[in-house]
Amino acid sequence: MPRFLKEFFDRNGLGIGSLMLGLVLFWTIGLIIMPQLSMLDFSFRPNLPPPEIGGPKDVYTMENYKYLVFGPEGGSQDFNAVDLKVFYRTLIAAVFVTIFNLILCYPIAYYLAQTKGNHIRIFALMLIIPYWINEILRAFALRIIFGETGVLNNLLVAAGVFDTPFDFIRNDIALYAGLGYAYILLMIFPIYNVIESLDRNQIEAARDMGASWPMIHRRVVIPYAKPGISSGCTMVFMLSAGALAAPQILGGPSSLWFTQLIYQQFNDNSDWPQGAAYAVVLLVTCILLVLAVMRLFKVDMGDIGK
Amino acid sequence: MSAGVGVDLENLWIRFGDFVAVRDAKVHINGGDFFSFLGPSGCGKTTILRAVSGFLEPSEGQVLIGGKDMKGIGPNKRPTALIFQNLALFPLMKVWENITFSMEIKGASARERRKRADELLDMIALPDQGDKLPSELSGGQRQRVAIARALCAEPDVLLLDEPLSALDLKLRQHMRTELREIQKRVGITFIYITHDQGEALTMSDNIAVMRAGVIDQIGDGKTIYNDPSTAFAASFVGENNVFRGTVKQVQGDTALIATNRSGDLLARVSSANQGKMKAGDDAMMFIRPEAFALAPVGSEGDHFVTATVTNEEFEGNAFNIFMEGDGGKEMKVSLPNLGQSFDSHKGQSMTLQYDVQNAVALPAGDLATE
Amino acid sequence: MKNLSLMRLSIWAYLAIFFAYLLGPLVIMSVTAFNSPEFPRATPWECLTFEWFSALFHDERILNGIKNSVLVGFGTVILSVAMGLAGALMLTQIWPKLRATYYTIIIAPILVPGVVIGISTLVFWDRINRMLGLGADSFLSNGLFLTVIGQSTFIASYCMLVLVARLQRYDAALTEAALDLGATHAQAFRKVLLPFMKPAIASAAVLAFLASFENYNTTTFTFGEYPTLTIELAQKVRYGITPAISALAFIIVLLTVFAALFNEANIRRKELVFEARKGATVEELSSGRFKMPGFLSSNWAAVALVVVACATVVVVGTATVYSPQQCIANVQEQKRLETEIRIQELQRQRELRRQQQEAEQGSTAPAQSQPADNNSGFGGVFAPNTLSGEEESGAAEPAEESSGFGGAFAPSTLSGDGN
Repeated sequence: MPRFLKEFFDRNGLGIGSLMLGLVLFWTIGLIIMPQLSMLDFSFRPNLPPPEIGGPKDVYTMENYKYLVFGPEGGSQDFNAVDLKVFYRTLIAAVFVTIFNLILCYPIAYYLAQTKGNHIRIFALMLIIPYWINEILRAFALRIIFGETGVLNNLLVAAGVFDTPFDFIRNDIALYAGLGYAYILLMIFPIYNVIESLDRNQIEAARDMGASWPMIHRRVVIPYAKPGISSGCTMVFMLSAGALAAPQILGGPSSLWFTQLIYQQFNDNSDWPQGAAYAVVLLVTCILLVLAVMRLFKVDMGDIGK
Repeated sequence: MSAGVGVDLENLWIRFGDFVAVRDAKVHINGGDFFSFLGPSGCGKTTILRAVSGFLEPSEGQVLIGGKDMKGIGPNKRPTALIFQNLALFPLMKVWENITFSMEIKGASARERRKRADELLDMIALPDQGDKLPSELSGGQRQRVAIARALCAEPDVLLLDEPLSALDLKLRQHMRTELREIQKRVGITFIYITHDQGEALTMSDNIAVMRAGVIDQIGDGKTIYNDPSTAFAASFVGENNVFRGTVKQVQGDTALIATNRSGDLLARVSSANQGKMKAGDDAMMFIRPEAFALAPVGSEGDHFVTATVTNEEFEGNAFNIFMEGDGGKEMKVSLPNLGQSFDSHKGQSMTLQYDVQNAVALPAGDLATE
Repeated sequence: MKNLSLMRLSIWAYLAIFFAYLLGPLVIMSVTAFNSPEFPRATPWECLTFEWFSALFHDERILNGIKNSVLVGFGTVILSVAMGLAGALMLTQIWPKLRATYYTIIIAPILVPGVVIGISTLVFWDRINRMLGLGADSFLSNGLFLTVIGQSTFIASYCMLVLVARLQRYDAALTEAALDLGATHAQAFRKVLLPFMKPAIASAAVLAFLASFENYNTTTFTFGEYPTLTIELAQKVRYGITPAISALAFIIVLLTVFAALFNEANIRRKELVFEARKGATVEELSSGRFKMPGFLSSNWAAVALVVVACATVVVVGTATVYSPQQCIANVQEQKRLETEIRIQELQRQRELRRQQQEAEQGSTAPAQSQPADNNSGFGGVFAPNTLSGEEESGAAEPAEESSGFGGAFAPSTLSGDGN
């Protein structure tokens, strides 16, 4: 038995130690690493009926990735304009949702973290309660509001802003509002956690030296809160880009989210390898994007999830 | 009173990777002794304690408890109980549950446990505090609960890892006496780890002085203080003035040392080094502050030292005079306050004398750094 | 000073807008559960009704979904708390060199899109299934199994974060002390570490259950024959919505508020008890004469909890005796009247225009006006139904028919061809 394994069992006992090791191995290898590798492998294979899997036709191919870029073979267009556009639009929209959430949540997180009192606990409860409600139901609530005869349109028409109801859904406003809504908590909490540990005296000192509020935030609070901000942004971005429920419920009939394409490949077209390839593309792109931004702002991976 | 169970460390080596934490330790601890390991932090004393209690497997050598080799026996099977530096009381258990945890493990009934807890609480002078949580006790009370918890396990050897370090000075001094009394009452072997020489000297039957993984000297308090066997032990235990130089001549148990600045001085060769020092060797000579006395001005000889006063302090029972020292450090002299009028001022030259029996000559070596 | 109050004002305004955005949708959705129109909406208010709740409780698919969700939830809680705890413990003692890599691996599932986790789980276990030569109905391709496995992949990461936060405050010397006092490793784990971790394990379990209960992205690929509540809801919401969903949402909101208030009240109570204990003398503690603070004293959360509970009892009480039929009939009658008036109005206008046109051109076919009437007359009332797709045909039915059967009609649409 290797030395570190012996030490491990000495420290934890044979029973507890094996249980612990078993669970961790099952989780990391059986649930995290192997499935991802398996999906990667699968995305390079042709779509075959079950009996032919493992047969002579089951060879590695780039077909599924080619499809995303060039479309079906012998298609009328040079590029798969539809899917590529959806992909591009998804990423851009996710970036905007992230920025919108950051701007919306930063003041709230700052306020909650730097104010003391009983009402802060009430605010915290009010923040958490919506997050406990089902994702589908949250999207559903927004759909009620943004519907053609929803509360918002009734209000706006009554107030004379519009003559006829405005189609928030077709214009994707409902979708963006819904995505932003879904991940507010994930933006607020990391920022809140970091700012809460910021010594108030630092702010007082900066004020004492005559710094204006924007200056204080730019030079003192934001640099300090950077790990929290990047953690929140990463989560919101990844989750918006990977969202499925909100686009399905709040998306307009003509606009698709990239995850919906994946869903279609799996459920409607039964083309698993194609869907896996799309999923790999989504995953890899998102990770690369996040890593690039983290490099840009000099943030460490260890800060995520704090 | 039972004779108690002895502990032996035989050629004990403990390594962490390339780092040697304990180097070839050979210690015999008598049953029923109060034995201290004394050394600065990082010297390996806690490592030895963990090897005795079973949390660490020695890289080489043996730990014997009551003559039995402890190899492969886990901490929960050894007849030892450890009092942790931070006490490690279970925060969610009441005091009485903490104390009788070792009985709970063995499946004793709650009534039995409660009864035993009350006995032990009486012994540590904390009656009626059994239903409190550890967090509701004061530092000294927690200390006593930790001792009671360890004693409840009825160990043959009680190991204490600097248990007093978290207490304030006054409580610490009080607890020293109390610990010593408890040890006498229960009569089992205590192994005590400390970096505080005062604790070690007041409580222990025997002390091992440790430096960087090596045990420099083992002996009772008086021997360690009066007859150190290394420069480190001399400088670590109590205050000491050091004079550096070379051995000029050895005669019987005294050596004449040519010091760098104070001329030739006589000193007694420590008993551990007799016959080992010869002319030409690098040597160090140690004289305690209280071993000096004033000498008539102008006296010269091999037990007189002349130096310039740099500072003076009045401590009530003594005058502390600081003088230009010999070893780069200041030299400190303590003269008892016997009501004599005493006049010294900065820059004044003073001559001091000492009894050769109180000066110790040792081979040159590392000094303890404060 | 003036500047300060202006600033405070703007802060409060911002907070108000923010919380309106956060809570408004839930409030409006809850309101629609009590409004009688078949399309969930808060305005215009028509009749207070509890029919949507009864429709909800008669919907087999919703009930089945709840059952599946609870099954999946329990499985996920057990698996992910166990894995999360093991993962957290491992994190505290893994080789320093491996630590960063290991942390990245176990934290990654939080960031990986749920869709990707669902797909990879499906693909991987399908492959294992085939490698073992098992059929399509084997345990490994069972929807419950796959869903629990898929959800646990990332929910365990959440649990791990919660548990690690508490574990960092754990003094490893406590375990050593237990061992030193003769406990076996298992005993030390059970009697010392677990009690210490209990609060965090409870939070992690609640978190895991909620995350599992509301998960859609992963489950939508793995559920197989066991659609969870979220899956059923998504199906319904995508293909036609009814206030019965609002009713369900309202129940969930209410339960959530209850749980949150209960939790908060408990925390407050513990604080108060702790304060009181600290103030109490030894004699008071040991003699049992120590006075516990009352449950409601200086505890706003407990007061709010009781108020909400009372309100719920009152509402449920009302619901059992209240019948909206008369009101619905009235509203329908009024609508009919309004419609008639509007039709007449339109007809009059048309008539006028026709007369004008006739006056200008001579003669035109009068039959043209009929469909136009229909559109404008019903458009205002039933426009929302156009949103819900398939229901258009149902909505086009005469107003008289739906008036009396508003409630009875709803369940059929709920469980009907919604998908």
